[in-house]
Amino acid sequence: MMFAVAILAVLAALALAVVRALAGPTAFDRLLAVNSIGTSAIMLLALFGFLTDRPEFLDIGITYVLLNMIGTLAVLKFFRYGALGHAQDPERDEALR
Amino acid sequence: MEAALDILSWAALVLGGIFYLIGAVGLNRMPDLFTRMHAVSVSDTLGVGLLILGMGLQAGASLITVKLVIIVLVLWTTGAVASHALARAALHDGEKPVLIDNAGNLVETDCVEIFPELAVRLAAPLTSEVVEEAPSEVPLGSEESLEEPGEPDREANRDARPPAENGGET
Repeated sequence: MMFAVAILAVLAALALAVVRALAGPTAFDRLLAVNSIGTSAIMLLALFGFLTDRPEFLDIGITYVLLNMIGTLAVLKFFRYGALGHAQDPERDEALR
Repeated sequence: MEAALDILSWAALVLGGIFYLIGAVGLNRMPDLFTRMHAVSVSDTLGVGLLILGMGLQAGASLITVKLVIIVLVLWTTGAVASHALARAALHDGEKPVLIDNAGNLVETDCVEIFPELAVRLAAPLTSEVVEEAPSEVPLGSEESLEEPGEPDREANRDARPPAENGGET
């Protein structure tokens, strides 16, 4: 019962974050909302595991925690450089070569 | 004992849910990106922490609690890092915070006008990236130094500086 209440709160927060992700004027607003959605998903996984007495969900939650962080940093780098695998300063790399 | 733990975990879960909702409402109602990040940090630290505390009290001393602690520690540390990266990227991209002017109106303000030294700080990421890159450059330089010992390393440093100085001037 107590977990159901917490799940409802997290679900409502998730819905609000989705609203911001759809409405956000800048890409950074969307990214912030997506990060928040990821955190909500982790909390949902953990709470659902407790609600149904299946703590294996926590392992999936740990995976999501790590992916969430990597995803945010990767998208930020993509915004900045337009690519994920490229060098930061092509001219300098040319000079080094 | 059982009842006391139940009451504590009820309180933690409900409070955590409330803080989580506060963060989500702030995410929608705040006027600009930076205040929204401020609102989200409430749900990312206090909300998550209290929800995990409530679950941990129900699980007792077991492997499940250890996993919960891992989740909350990683969330707290990576949340701070991600927020920092997001704010820096936004400032670098020219995002303007909404501030209150003397007349009490909400105005989009260019922070560089208020804090001129911020222009130097905003140029700083370029130099710090050069510093971050430095360790990976050393192997490159040392490979070349098989042919010309000493010289290539200095050349690499000289090449690394100009972009940073250009960034500082603009």
